[in-house]
Amino acid sequence: MALADTARVAAPTPVRSVSTTNACRMCMPLGASLALAGFEGTVPFLHGSQGCATYIRRYLISHFREPMDIASSSIAESSTVFGGESALVDGIANVARVYRPAMIGVATTCLTETIGEDVGGALARIDGCRPEPADPAADGSVSPTGAAPALVHVSTPAYAGTHVDGYQAAVAATVGALAEPGAPTEQVVVLPGLVSPADLRHLREVVDGFGLSHLLVPDISDRLDAGVAEEYQRLPPGGTPLAEAAAACRARAAVTLGGLVSPGTALAGELLEDRFGVAHHRLALPIGIRLTDALVETLEGLGGTAPHWLDAERGRLVDAYVDGHKYLAERTAVLFGDEDLVLGLAVWLAEIGVTPAACVTGGRSGRLAAELVRLAPELDGRVTVVDDGDFAEVEELVRALSPDLLVGHSRGYPLSRALDVPLVRVGLPIHDRVGAARTRHLGYRGTQELFDRVTNALIERRQDESAVGYAYM
Amino acid sequence: MRKIAIYGKGGIGKSTTTQNTVAGLSEMGRKVMVVGCDPKADSTRLLLGGLAQRSVLDTLRIEGEDVELDDVRADGFAESKCVESGGPEPGVGCAGRGIITSINLLEQLGAYDDSEQLDYVFYDVLGDVVCGGFAMPIREGKAEEIYIVASGEMMAMYAANNICKGVQKFANTGKVRVGGIICNSRNVDNEYELIDHFARELGTQMIHFVPRDNDVQRAEINKKTVIEWNPACNQAEEYRRLAMAIEANESFVIPKPMETDRLEELLLEHGLLAA
Repeated sequence: MALADTARVAAPTPVRSVSTTNACRMCMPLGASLALAGFEGTVPFLHGSQGCATYIRRYLISHFREPMDIASSSIAESSTVFGGESALVDGIANVARVYRPAMIGVATTCLTETIGEDVGGALARIDGCRPEPADPAADGSVSPTGAAPALVHVSTPAYAGTHVDGYQAAVAATVGALAEPGAPTEQVVVLPGLVSPADLRHLREVVDGFGLSHLLVPDISDRLDAGVAEEYQRLPPGGTPLAEAAAACRARAAVTLGGLVSPGTALAGELLEDRFGVAHHRLALPIGIRLTDALVETLEGLGGTAPHWLDAERGRLVDAYVDGHKYLAERTAVLFGDEDLVLGLAVWLAEIGVTPAACVTGGRSGRLAAELVRLAPELDGRVTVVDDGDFAEVEELVRALSPDLLVGHSRGYPLSRALDVPLVRVGLPIHDRVGAARTRHLGYRGTQELFDRVTNALIERRQDESAVGYAYM
Repeated sequence: MRKIAIYGKGGIGKSTTTQNTVAGLSEMGRKVMVVGCDPKADSTRLLLGGLAQRSVLDTLRIEGEDVELDDVRADGFAESKCVESGGPEPGVGCAGRGIITSINLLEQLGAYDDSEQLDYVFYDVLGDVVCGGFAMPIREGKAEEIYIVASGEMMAMYAANNICKGVQKFANTGKVRVGGIICNSRNVDNEYELIDHFARELGTQMIHFVPRDNDVQRAEINKKTVIEWNPACNQAEEYRRLAMAIEANESFVIPKPMETDRLEELLLEHGLLAA
């Protein structure tokens, strides 16, 4: 735990127990699976025991309410003792035959990392004995295009990081593995981080509005928020096309949104800059006026022109701030979730007069407290930041601070219920409401929606608490 | 049934000492089972007259779950029972988990049942206790008496001290105790006094000093224990004495491992380190 602000914080410091009670994070392979699902024609594949894939599938399916296939090498006891290469090879052959994918993204798990599996070596050996693509019809192990699936490997031992680390590591591994250097393109690569399908669609619209040629890497918006298909598709359409992902290394700029990761996890944007000289810009998730303005400035710096509708949305948001101020001033909130989202939300809440009195994340970047004060200097000394935290710590902080509001994912509901503090649901996972995929957080528009939800939650609480049934608040 | 594990630095002569001791006990009419806990599966070669046996894990891999005790256990010298746990090839998989799997299977198959009427089971565990799997025999109470093979060489004593740390940890929650240090002599100066002192400092005893003798190598080349190869030779008598000392041993202690500084002092006292 890093209590970065301990010295300046008046609030009581939570005492870290020896064990973790409901960590504020999920596991690396979960994030990796999600990232891999954002590439076209890709099957996420976990090298490990069956339960990892099952758990992650269930978790993501009930959040997105879409089918989500994750393959597994189903490591059993004998593969653990003798090594899992043959299980991996068999699994990949089966997935290639059944799904005919363009890519299989292999993420490791705790078990296979601990026994030291040589996944890179195994994939290279598979690569070396691929079937000839000459006769795709006769050989089930090739994709409809006739090519054997690309194989990408990402190392994701859950104990080494968070789901966001797993997500970012998978994006970087994929971009690095697919990279095909060549003539520079005019594209701006947008690396959106772990945000909702609605956020991704809005981001596309915004960057489009600036007239910039761009590519989202990865893009789960179609696959994990799809319409009703005529018939079941084993491998749903959508995702970043692999050919375009391969060209990311020739882009003129890369923009990472979020990107607070544990030390040792590289971002795809950093990889593009270091290995291929792509100019890399890292911004916080664009939530609120300040952080969305920063994105606007960056896009203008890349030669784009802000569309009028975006200005209009900004104007309406400022107006809403003014209208809502009487409900929000001097309120406090406790935030929990992943570092990127908590950072964006905290900077935004400060902007509308709500003090994010405590920010608890499962993250281990060690940078959250400093970023928070850099982006919202008015918060200096007013926030307790807990890294690598759990819900026992969230509870302690909520009891000590008596906030007006909790902002986080649905795993905070038991606490919200027990301590009678309203919860505004954001981020991942949302398992007790519909619409997680449709929840917008980003841009002026996403902020507007968050603003209405937060303000209404506070109004509703006040209304409910009153002895009089006021219909006019 | 006495449950014994032999630990010690890699290459110190654990397997050789174990098998020769087992030969001594078997010759005395004791019923002994040896479980080799080394992926190399060379812990029973001398008792069996060669690497004649399929390991538990190989059998499990090839036959599946349908394994019988006789598939993995072979009779060696003087009716000793020999089992090799086996394990993955170097550099892959998880040998530690292999030990756990294999000992669990032996239990399921009834290798330790009263009907087997065993007087002793010996676990011969590979060099360093590198991970939890290799500590399994002592952690789970499969072995209750530990003998550590050491010599007057510094690294052998470091390793022995380190093994005592492991035993100490598990002794507090279980029945495992150290029965003594077996000195497998390397002809180091003052070796007898050094190991005797070392053992007492650890709170245990030097249970036997096995002198260095090329008959051990001669017997090994012939794939035999010394007792089988030349029952009348002096070295055979040494192993019989070791077997009798273990048979008669009543000193079982929770060891007191030393700090490194103390260990080095001890070496200095006995003139091993140049001052």
